Amino acid sequence: MPQMIACFKWVVDEAYIRVGASGDLDMNAVDYKISDYDKNALEEAARIREQAGGSVAAVTVGVPEATKGVKDALSRGAEKAFFIQDPSFRDLEPSQTARILAAVIQSRIPYDLILCGEGSSDLYARQVGPRLAELLGIPCLSFVQKLTVEGDRVVAERRTDEGQEVCTAPMPVLVTVLPDINTPRIPSVRDTLMASKKEVVPVRKEDLPDISSPFLETVSMKGTSLKRSGTRFTEDPGDVKAFVDTLLQKGVLK
Amino acid sequence: MDFKLTEEQELIRKNMREFTEKHVDPIAVEIDETSRHPEELFKKLAEGGWMGIPVPVEYGGSGSDYLTHIVAVDELARSCASTGFTVSIHVGIACMLVLLFGTEDQKKKFLAPMARGEKLGAFVLTEPGAGTDVMAATTTAVKDGNDYVLNGTKTFTSNGPTGDTYFVFAWTDKAAGRKGMSAFIVPRGTPGMEVGTHFKKMGLRSSQTSEMVFRNCRIPQENLLGKEGAGLLMAMTGFDHGRTGIAAQSTGILQAALDESIRYSKERVQFGQPISRQQAIAWMIADMATDLQAARFLTYHAAWMKDQGKPFSKEASMAKLFTSEAAMRHTIKAVQIHGGYGYVKGAKVERLMRDAKITEIYEGTSEAQRMVISGNVLR
Ligand SMILES: Cc1cc2nc3c(=O)[nH]c(=O)nc-3n(C[C@H](O)[C@H](O)[C@H](O)COP(=O)(O)OP(=O)(O)OC[C@H]3O[C@@H](n4cnc5c(N)ncnc54)[C@H](O)[C@@H]3O)c2cc1C
Repeated sequence: MPQMIACFKWVVDEAYIRVGASGDLDMNAVDYKISDYDKNALEEAARIREQAGGSVAAVTVGVPEATKGVKDALSRGAEKAFFIQDPSFRDLEPSQTARILAAVIQSRIPYDLILCGEGSSDLYARQVGPRLAELLGIPCLSFVQKLTVEGDRVVAERRTDEGQEVCTAPMPVLVTVLPDINTPRIPSVRDTLMASKKEVVPVRKEDLPDISSPFLETVSMKGTSLKRSGTRFTEDPGDVKAFVDTLLQKGVLK
Repeated sequence: MDFKLTEEQELIRKNMREFTEKHVDPIAVEIDETSRHPEELFKKLAEGGWMGIPVPVEYGGSGSDYLTHIVAVDELARSCASTGFTVSIHVGIACMLVLLFGTEDQKKKFLAPMARGEKLGAFVLTEPGAGTDVMAATTTAVKDGNDYVLNGTKTFTSNGPTGDTYFVFAWTDKAAGRKGMSAFIVPRGTPGMEVGTHFKKMGLRSSQTSEMVFRNCRIPQENLLGKEGAGLLMAMTGFDHGRTGIAAQSTGILQAALDESIRYSKERVQFGQPISRQQAIAWMIADMATDLQAARFLTYHAAWMKDQGKPFSKEASMAKLFTSEAAMRHTIKAVQIHGGYGYVKGAKVERLMRDAKITEIYEGTSEAQRMVISGNVLR
């Protein structure tokens, strides 16, 4: 019966970002969500527990306002959450997040299996999982689209550039998941209401070892915008030619 | 003053949004065109606990408050007004009637299966000759030993053909006037109760509406809801809850009209630019967005009053009056913004406009709401 940890990030829901005329991003009216693939990680942990037993702890590093995200995670099957919080944890880079997670997991949370999303919906750097495994000194299986627990090992189907690969690793192990691994549940009304009754362990910056300063600096962030030219092409052969010519002219085709 | 929903309510809204994208949007056009009651969808709504949000857990519900139910109806109606309405009348009137007035046995026997979504409720008050004028009803319930015997014809019963648990209003003592009507819980299959004509409708088409005919329909004493003679009072309390639900349904319709209008007007190019750049169109959208905000505030405020245990008849009527008229007004505008493309089948705004009209009629017409409101403020 594996003791599982599902890591998740509370990110800006990109559907709410507005792009200004000059490409600047307006974040004034944004809402937040659990990063898409992290929902798959939470779901996979809940699914394994429902089949094989064990336990699931959800862990997040974020700003103190992310309480809704913690409730959301708890409504998806985790029975306990560790909420590592500080106002300065808004723009952490992957190496820092991994270091914070490693410190908290090592000191406070027993585990056999750690699940992470392959990458986050906002940065998609795909580093936190592998870096965390490295810091904990455990094997890491990435790009996993199917997972089973067999005794004290996991068997994972990985999707690679060359195709599919099935591999196995002894627990404790860290697995990063792709969205194909499952369909995250839509929590029932009761699941959401019960989430607030579950245990949340707060961990603050003061409880952590020193986190290195960031290596990266974001200089600017701009949105791309789609401008329509308003030209219409029909299935008429002349139009098809005009369409291809336009694509060549605009440099879309070479 | 706190204008914020709780985090749980926000999450529940988000989950309902995801639910509608996955399970309702894909069938909304089909169930409208074929006037089909989507049994499979209601199973899923039941599994998610959406069919009894404000009903306590011990009676099969989700154990939340009325505002949370209203938030869910708002979001559900945004995708499909018929489905939003069915949930609204089932929870807001049928479940609430038993919860508020039922005996412990009735709650166990009738409320729990409804709140779990296994049985669907129906509210049977209107008659061919008695719409706004409820007192003109002629259906009678005559006491016979330990039973009541029901006779009469009801009409426009939502969930008539598909319901399981009917709340039927009939005179036990016509001479007693407002204190002469009683309410009965009639399970589907009770001998003497038959589903009459099914109505084909302009909108709200996947909600099933029919006549209900009672011929010597025998109801045991234990199925009397509340006290004999308290029927009208209970119906009015039911309306307070139900009208808040219709306000939420109208708000959802209005939200959908705005969503569609914004999307389409930014996409549609005429005279070399999106039509949203034309002030005539932009102002329609400004008015729509403003009325939507007002609609939601009025509706959520009525539900909040209910949750505070305060009287909320006036607030429920105001919310229903304003939101339903705003929904009608702006769905017409939404079709206008879509031009010819809004007039053809398959355009969401076409369905929204047909669905909006009923909100000004049922659970009390706009005129009836104005009577309630004026009666209240002129008192
Ligand atoms: C799709 C649908 C579903 C329905 N579902 C249900 C249901 O589940 N259960 C149920 O019991 N009923 C239901 N109804 C009935 C609905 O509540 C009535 O249609 C409504 O109350 C109006 O009654 P009426 O149709 O008899 O109109 P009438 O009362 O005849 O009204 C006709 C017109 O006269 C106006 N009017 C009437 N009296 C006055 C007055 N004193 N002053 C000013 N104007 C007045 C009305 O506002 C309206 O404009 C449903 C109706 C429809 C169409």
